Amino acid sequence: MINFAAVRPWGQLGPGGRRILLAAALGLGLALALLWGSIAWASRPTTVRVLMPAPFADSTAMLVESFNREHPDLRIVVTRGPLETEAVSDLAISSLLLGDSPYDLLLMDVTWTAKYAAAGWLLPLDGWLGPTPLAPLAPGARAGNRIDGTLWRLPMLADMGLLYWRTDLIAAPPQTPAELVAISERLQRQGKVRWGYVWQGRQYEGLSCVFLELLRGFGGNWQSSGEGLGSPAATRAASWLRELIVKGISPAAVANFAEPEALQSFEAGEAAFMRNWPYAWQELQGPASRVAGKVDVTLMVAEVGQPHGATQGSWGLSVLASSPHPAAAVEALKALTGEAGQRRLVQRWGYSPTLTALFDDPALVAERPLLPVLQSALESVVLRPINPGYAQLSDILQRQLSSVITGEVEPALAMERAGLASQQLLEASGRGGGR
Amino acid sequence: MSILLMAPALLLLLAVFLWPIVHYAWLSLQAQSVFTGLKPVPVGLANWERLLGDGRFWQDAVQTLRFALVSVGLELLLGLAIALLLHQSWRGRGLVRSLTLLPWALPTTVMALGWRWILNDPNGPINGFLELLGLPSLPFLASTQLAWLAVVLADTWKTTPFVALLLLAGMQMIPADLYEAFALEGGRPMQGLLRITLPLLRPYIFIALVFRLAQALGVFDLVTVLTGGGPASSTESLALYAYLNAMRFLDFGYSATLMLGTFVLLLAAALALVLAQRWRRASA
Repeated sequence: MINFAAVRPWGQLGPGGRRILLAAALGLGLALALLWGSIAWASRPTTVRVLMPAPFADSTAMLVESFNREHPDLRIVVTRGPLETEAVSDLAISSLLLGDSPYDLLLMDVTWTAKYAAAGWLLPLDGWLGPTPLAPLAPGARAGNRIDGTLWRLPMLADMGLLYWRTDLIAAPPQTPAELVAISERLQRQGKVRWGYVWQGRQYEGLSCVFLELLRGFGGNWQSSGEGLGSPAATRAASWLRELIVKGISPAAVANFAEPEALQSFEAGEAAFMRNWPYAWQELQGPASRVAGKVDVTLMVAEVGQPHGATQGSWGLSVLASSPHPAAAVEALKALTGEAGQRRLVQRWGYSPTLTALFDDPALVAERPLLPVLQSALESVVLRPINPGYAQLSDILQRQLSSVITGEVEPALAMERAGLASQQLLEASGRGGGR
Repeated sequence: MSILLMAPALLLLLAVFLWPIVHYAWLSLQAQSVFTGLKPVPVGLANWERLLGDGRFWQDAVQTLRFALVSVGLELLLGLAIALLLHQSWRGRGLVRSLTLLPWALPTTVMALGWRWILNDPNGPINGFLELLGLPSLPFLASTQLAWLAVVLADTWKTTPFVALLLLAGMQMIPADLYEAFALEGGRPMQGLLRITLPLLRPYIFIALVFRLAQALGVFDLVTVLTGGGPASSTESLALYAYLNAMRFLDFGYSATLMLGTFVLLLAAALALVLAQRWRRASA
């Protein structure tokens, strides 16, 4: 029995007793708060942080929003990186070198993969994505994801170099370099266009892309080992680029053109041909374009009997080895690279998908008539060397090509130098050379 | 006791100055690159041998020096002229003084982007103007002859105000009665400039020269944004080359060697300057 009379009301407690009770109440309150807090903490969604170049951060915003709605326990947060491709890599590398990268996923250019993997920054994806993660990809999109047997990335969109041409000026696109020159000269003589052909001639990665597909068309090959720049075909391809400027088919300013400058010139109706990526298609149909509805797309020119090349420039997601929650990161990677996500990117932005199912979908093709061309380009893709030293190999090539385009060095000498310098690099690094 | 009082400052200096140099010296004796999995592997003097035979390093050294000498020279001349103008009293001087500072206040990146647009071929305003005159447009950033001048132009535009401000401060330290006495003796203004202003301004000119040369020899952001080092690497600076090696090629051993090599070149240049001055003083 409890003696109720013995239970004294508040007022009858001595000052010491009151303090003890107060302390107990406070302690209880604090314990409850801690408990509640830790429960809330534990059920808080896991955050997957992704670094993307600004344009992709914008275009994938809709996918991220859907994902976050559908996954209460996961949250993707995209960091909007710089606009320029290499600046994004610089940012990512800075954070990785400091040893405490805030990102779980990186949206990377295909050429970065080997470098990042060799530096030990990426998580091997084998085992995370089922037995055949690359099977749904179109054949041209499969290459570049697996290096020496290890899977490092999954592509979100394909990118390939294309030749844009004006349907209001000519009936059929040129097939060979000589035809491109002849048609350009004729159209320029007739005063229909100021320039024949605009492309990317600035000393940067885009110049290597321009050259790579042309090299294929001239019968050469920049091998995966990094060799092949000193070949006669390479000299012919470089000479052709220089001649475009000498003959006035391309403006001298092309030596400082990146994609936006080429697009600007072509969009203004100044040129008959342009080399660019698939993204340009949608831009050219916009209200600012003077050539909307007068443009078609084909593969880069090639000499008779040689394959038409399209430089592969795909963007893919990789998980960083330092990610504290790789499972969540892989979940986000799957959602962003999956069929539903890619379909929406194709529908909304005209990106090129990487999945066979989407290329073969008649409804999607009806909506995006460019898809068959993109698919055939994807079948002719040429890969840049898959080598941890690729950035340096490309830098060697860019430097020599830039001196050819500006008329500083003769093409044969420049390509000989490029070949020698790459060979030296490969030998010094213990890769390639002598093979 | 005095050493104890100086110890904190000395320690700080050691930490921020000596430690990086020692670390870089060590790094320059290692192969630490993407090919070694970013782990240091001792290679002796291989990086230094490569540096001596690296034509690109020497080309960049010449280009960096050319850029620094021409742009700093121009900045001193123009800065002096502007300072003289702003030193005179005239209506609206205060406004002009603050306006002059505007280019200096702009971040280099923003300023470089601006110049990239101004010099755009054929859509930039300068080429628009040339076209208006019936002249052909000039590929400022696409020609090896013009691109480095474009970099000099942009740099001069931005940093002349800094030099002008330093020299103006110096001019205001010169007592006015010197000029009054000089005028009473029948001296002409031009003589005043040569006999009073310039000699008394010498320490300020020296400071401006040191500041600007140090900055110009390390030029990086302007070149990166304006030209990216192109065309044909004709505007590449030593700092940009070292940056490419570290951040793009992930070759930290060679990048450290490039930085130290640059440091050694600068030390040699500074030493030569000091020796030349001593020799001149001794012979005077």
